[in-house]
Amino acid sequence: MLVFNFFLFRVVQTDPIGSLFRGRNVPAETLDNLRASFGLDQSIGTQFVFYLRETAQLNLGISYQSRQPVWDEIVSAIPPTLALVGVAAILSAVIGTAAGIVAAWRRNTWKDHSITSGTMIFYSMPDFWLGMILLVGFAVVLGWFPVGGIVTAGSTETGIERLLDQLYHMFLPALTLTLAYLGEYTLVTRSSLLDVMGEDYLTVARAKGLRDVRVRNRHAVPNALLPVVTLTAINFGFVLSGAIAVEAVFSWPGLGKATADAIRGPDLPMLQGLFLLFSAAVIVFNLIADLTYSWLDPRVEGA
Amino acid sequence: MSTLAMQRRRATAGRVWTQFRSSRQGMIGLGVLLLFVLMALAAPLLADARELSPVFARAQGNPQWASPGEFSPLGTDHIRRSVWAQFVWGSRVSIFVGLAATVLTIAIGSVVGIVSGFVGGRVDAVLMRLTEWFLVIPFLPLAIVLASVLGRNVWNIIFVIGITSWPSTARLIRAQVLTVKQRLFVDRARSLGASGGHIVSHHILPNVMGLILANATLAVPISILTETTLSFLGLGDPSAASWGKTLEEAFVNGAMTRNAWWYFLPAGLGILAVVLAFTLIGRTLEEIANPRLSRGR
Amino acid sequence: MSEPMLSVRDLTVTYHGQGGAVPAVRGVSFELEKGGSLGLAGESGCGKSTMANSLLRLLPAGTEVTGEITLDGQDVLGLTPGGLRAVRWTSGAIVFQGALHALNPVQTVGDQIAEPMLVHETAKNDAAARVRVVDLLRRVGLPAARADAFPHQLSGGQRQRVLIAMALACDPHLLIADEPTTALDLMVQAQVLALLDDLKQERDLTLLFITHDLSVLTYACQRLAVMYAGRIVEEGPAWAVFESPSHPYTRALAAAFPTIGDRMSRMSPSGLGGDPPTPGQLPEGCPFHPRCPLAHDACLVAEPELRASGQGGRAACILV
Repeated sequence: MLVFNFFLFRVVQTDPIGSLFRGRNVPAETLDNLRASFGLDQSIGTQFVFYLRETAQLNLGISYQSRQPVWDEIVSAIPPTLALVGVAAILSAVIGTAAGIVAAWRRNTWKDHSITSGTMIFYSMPDFWLGMILLVGFAVVLGWFPVGGIVTAGSTETGIERLLDQLYHMFLPALTLTLAYLGEYTLVTRSSLLDVMGEDYLTVARAKGLRDVRVRNRHAVPNALLPVVTLTAINFGFVLSGAIAVEAVFSWPGLGKATADAIRGPDLPMLQGLFLLFSAAVIVFNLIADLTYSWLDPRVEGA
Repeated sequence: MSTLAMQRRRATAGRVWTQFRSSRQGMIGLGVLLLFVLMALAAPLLADARELSPVFARAQGNPQWASPGEFSPLGTDHIRRSVWAQFVWGSRVSIFVGLAATVLTIAIGSVVGIVSGFVGGRVDAVLMRLTEWFLVIPFLPLAIVLASVLGRNVWNIIFVIGITSWPSTARLIRAQVLTVKQRLFVDRARSLGASGGHIVSHHILPNVMGLILANATLAVPISILTETTLSFLGLGDPSAASWGKTLEEAFVNGAMTRNAWWYFLPAGLGILAVVLAFTLIGRTLEEIANPRLSRGR
Repeated sequence: MSEPMLSVRDLTVTYHGQGGAVPAVRGVSFELEKGGSLGLAGESGCGKSTMANSLLRLLPAGTEVTGEITLDGQDVLGLTPGGLRAVRWTSGAIVFQGALHALNPVQTVGDQIAEPMLVHETAKNDAAARVRVVDLLRRVGLPAARADAFPHQLSGGQRQRVLIAMALACDPHLLIADEPTTALDLMVQAQVLALLDDLKQERDLTLLFITHDLSVLTYACQRLAVMYAGRIVEEGPAWAVFESPSHPYTRALAAAFPTIGDRMSRMSPSGLGGDPPTPGQLPEGCPFHPRCPLAHDACLVAEPELRASGQGGRAACILV
């Protein structure tokens, strides 16, 4: 992972400092100094060793754009993203799964068709475009919500008021992400439940005189949820990196916006650091997903 | 190919078409797709390509930021270009990149999947490790990284999308190949003295084709949406303006604060429509290839 | 004579699916007195499972059911949903075939047996239910510890016993056993049959036993009925039907007495050529005539009605 990360960036971009300052008048001497400070005048081998050593010490380099340590920049960007993405992921999982259950249980009725069609439409649009529409509609035209950022500019509120202000700013981006992610949960839950609905033990449950709702909730759904849970856990890992464009649209100061900004540099150390973080997140959540599944499904022996 | 085999292929295609025709979602998808493909092909007839150049637009005396009411049919942007022209010509790039990237994805994924499943053994183990490794990497960051590094060029974008999307296809195809391999008739063919290549092309491929096709159709939406996101983040090819690029320009130049909805609404709707069309077609094909699914739908 | 436990009159079940209307059961009538036992035999596709499921109205929505089903004095087809739920498992219970998927994979066996008790308030609370569960398990020959096992941890025979225990959870009056011995080894089959017989005596159950294996029925039942293409083609006292069958189909079934250890003779009980007819495409006249060794032209004219065949039974064949 680290090896790939490093070589990918270094191999093709031969002169990052030059491209960063392209078009601006900077004396050649300054450029050379910058290159030296970033270690770019060393051979590739030396640079790699240097990289490994530094990464092990959690020193991910200095951002080209901001001249601050990459580690600091990334760490300060984590909480906003975590908050936004966490809320959206939980909401979309809960709502999406519920919708999928209803759609499958009442398959081929208008409830099913409207739910399936609705989620397919949301799922087929670019998430950031939905964000743009919501932003223009609710913030620009109606003025109900702020146009961007995480707090009102220049505010000095603290404590509860600050939190409320942040939540107020979070509403639209969270709504955008929730709508965008809903679809997958709905479709997977629906599929899974439809598979389960053909099983004999549901007929047995009905024969025992159980109410329809109980048959659904106690027998059908628990069996259907197993694959959904795995999906959710895996998704959490990917979801971290999925909010990049939406954060950019709403100027939400998280990892996504940091990535978007870093792209425009290109700010290689930042991109490297971010990529490392995103990959780590996916690996961690895949592990969690595996563990959760084996804990939930009695048919799987051990972890 | 023998005439008997050709007849059988034609018969299968006919059967598939009949089933497809009876699916409402499939026909809607197909209809919408054809509409956009026609639009893309007929671009020169629908909008003057010169309208895409800001110099031309200025010379024409177009107003800036004109709404559709003021400048038909879809208004103008910040540098006076016709939004309608951008919409029509953008369809070409978006659809083309979507299709080309998918072709690449399917090609790599199928080859890896078939080889891995058919040859088995150590080759399989190695290829699967590779696939898993790719699957673990979050694909949008990877795409961003590759695109940043490779430069802003249509072919690079296609390459990047292909490289990041092939693993899931490979896995699916490998599973199918394994299932087919287990069937007796492959062993019988081998005992008849058929070579590996013959078995692959005459037995494995026909049984896997259906799955590949359905998977391909469902992969196009992913390719298109990925291209759109990459373009939006500034990694698109400046000389080949896709719908994603239109959205990027709208965003960067303040279309939102000005409420210039005509600038970003059409491009997004176009993407939505084309992606939805491919999704509907793909789901229909999936149901045809795997009838067990249609019981539930 | 007191009222029969189960009375079925002119029952017709038609599935409505994508292939059109499929008549799975076409005018079946029979009676079961309290404490009696009736065996229902036939090949797959003859409609016996459909008929069993229809007794508790367990068929998929949209299935057309006409006729009359009276269970324990209640008109099953006329019950409200609430009334139906109350009757299920308390008046009549089904012992399903013990395949792995008749039991919920993610619930313990004990919980599944206890569930109807709690729903129907046969047991007041979890503790009381647990006591009854352990009791039932012991009665069917399983150790109490098995209550905490999951279905996949049990063998086929054990699962079948669990299903029997589950069926008895609310002390039903009628027990419907739907292929309880299919897919079990011969030795285990014998054990399960003995168990069912014991339970029947002990609790004075009324038993409806459904299977494709005729030899099994002669052991367990007083009366026998044979189904073919959705109708009963012969019925009467078990010994009479088995030893001197009147209908050619029954004769073929009875003649193929399975040899111990020979799986093949168990699989094709009738030894007849050909396949049973598809429910949607029945032959003209008597549906059995394509495979009947005694068929002649008159058989194509009309479907024969059940008529007395001597020895207290009836058969649907013009030769009777």
